[in-house]
Amino acid sequence: MNTLRLQAIGLCMLLAASVCVAQTGVAPAGMPSGVQAEDDPEEPRGTQAIVTWQAPEEPMPLPGLVAVGQRVIFRRVDGGEWQLGPLVPLDATSTPVGDLKPWPWPKWEIAVSVEYGPGGALGEMAREAGWPAGVDPILPSATVGPVRPVGAWYKSEYTNILALAVLICLIVIATIYAIRGRAEQVYIRPIAGLEAVNDAIGRATEMGKPIVYVSGLSGIGDISTIASMLILGHLSRRSAAYETEILVPCNDPLVMATEREIVRQAYTEAGKPDAYSPDNIFFVTDSQFGYVAAVDGIMVREKPAAAFYMGYFYAEALILAETGNQTGAIQIAGTDADTQLPFFITACDYTLMGEELYAASAYLSRQPLLVAQLRGQDIAKSIIAAVMVAGVLAATYAAIVTGAAADVARAFVEWFAA
Amino acid sequence: MKLQVPLLITFLAGVFMAVQFFVPHELGQTAFGELLNWGRIVAAFALVLGIQSLLRTHVEKIRRRRRDWPYSTVAIASFVMMVVIGIGFGSDRGSGFDWVFTHVQVPLDATMFSLLAFFIASAAFRTFRARSTEATLLLVAAVVVMLGRVPGSLIVVFGHSGAGEWLHTNMPDVSEWIMNFPSVAGKRGIIFGVALGSIATALRIMLGIERSHLGGGSGGGGDE
Repeated sequence: MNTLRLQAIGLCMLLAASVCVAQTGVAPAGMPSGVQAEDDPEEPRGTQAIVTWQAPEEPMPLPGLVAVGQRVIFRRVDGGEWQLGPLVPLDATSTPVGDLKPWPWPKWEIAVSVEYGPGGALGEMAREAGWPAGVDPILPSATVGPVRPVGAWYKSEYTNILALAVLICLIVIATIYAIRGRAEQVYIRPIAGLEAVNDAIGRATEMGKPIVYVSGLSGIGDISTIASMLILGHLSRRSAAYETEILVPCNDPLVMATEREIVRQAYTEAGKPDAYSPDNIFFVTDSQFGYVAAVDGIMVREKPAAAFYMGYFYAEALILAETGNQTGAIQIAGTDADTQLPFFITACDYTLMGEELYAASAYLSRQPLLVAQLRGQDIAKSIIAAVMVAGVLAATYAAIVTGAAADVARAFVEWFAA
Repeated sequence: MKLQVPLLITFLAGVFMAVQFFVPHELGQTAFGELLNWGRIVAAFALVLGIQSLLRTHVEKIRRRRRDWPYSTVAIASFVMMVVIGIGFGSDRGSGFDWVFTHVQVPLDATMFSLLAFFIASAAFRTFRARSTEATLLLVAAVVVMLGRVPGSLIVVFGHSGAGEWLHTNMPDVSEWIMNFPSVAGKRGIIFGVALGSIATALRIMLGIERSHLGGGSGGGGDE
């Protein structure tokens, strides 16, 4: 009972001191003082400041309460509630303070206080049990403000990525505009998997069986899914011409909606809008192995003449491809998942490896702009290969020779390695 | 207009995403997070389309008594059961939904996944037949890697003879060398190609050269 009375007195004193600080703006003895805050240069987001202060030699004694640490608190200068920052030990004199959101560009007032907790055995037990250590109200020291962290607007460590990305984009765009008029003269290496697309559609037409098209298990935000949908467009245009049924089980509703639109447009362009059936592009499930079970079931029951697996795949790649193999379908796969490529190569008749998936749209359509873009891509690839060879030579030179030339070679390698 | 507006949105969103990658400021990151949230909201609405598609496909199949229609009744019954249990009784740990998920869905998933072991065996049997030089190289590399990665396998095969001990000591290093150099070199070649292909595909979609995903045919003319 005595302890509780003492704690009540302590709290009253704390409240009185708090009012006193609010009126005078000066921290009383036994509280942190000399608070400074500056932007944290190591934190690029612009939400963190480094706060420094002088810790009290002895925290202000309050009856029934014990000092448990120093608490940094902050609020918006234009009026806002104090928010709790980090709680640091009693001898700490510096700490980073985050969550100073820069939008809509507010300025902040920051203070440091000693935080008290109940004294005696009760308080000790509460702290050991992990109950909140502090008590309100918190007594603020002299505050500092207005302060505003400054964020960075550019990741300088990404300069090499930016330079190469801009270079590649410029090469591709320049090539498109340079050779689009004579794109039909551009040689494209024959890709067996894409040459076989017509055979697969023809086979399905002759057998009167459907084609199954799987566009991977990634969402619509994945570039390989987009590449896969572009291939589906070309494929459906051709299958529409022969009125061959194409089944597209989907594991993502957004992909399903987009693919329906693509296939509908393809049927319209092929002059067979009545042959389009939206029910052939259907959602199954977003569960990975549930989807595999469903597609395997469709293949075993429908016995499709051809199966296409284009997009990004995970562990289900081999299960799908082996099932298709057992049903006797001609199988064409294309993926940029390097871990799944060996499985597709093993189980499928043709496999588009990596970039061939992205080239498929240009290859199938032979449209001037797309073919020109393909040429630009090849030029960029040649430049990257040349840079890699130069890097190997430079690294070797820097390792065996010393001097200014070796330093330049080392800097060249390190700029790319950064 | 029907084509231009989506193209403009695609271009602006593409430019924003490319720029924000180089901007560490909280403002850029917040805007990026907001855009991702919009994506999630759109995806949530699209889920309605997915459910509608699922139900429509299976109901049609049952109604028209198409081949294997009883499977569709199982699919619809399972769907309805999970919705009723989930919405009616919650999906917290220990709930009926959680029980069905743990004791039905997880074992079914595991069953499908475990099929992979058998499929790997059948695929390996087909692939590892030394019908050509490349296939023979593949077979030898695969055997070396497998033996190098199974501790004690060479001792079992060759016993504690000199050759057995030598292979037991050195085969793991050979296996590691194959994985770290020829294998990684091949993978990196593929990854380079993929990276360039991704940039080029993104570029042609952003610039409107490729439009077939918008249902408007490609920008470069008609299909062959």
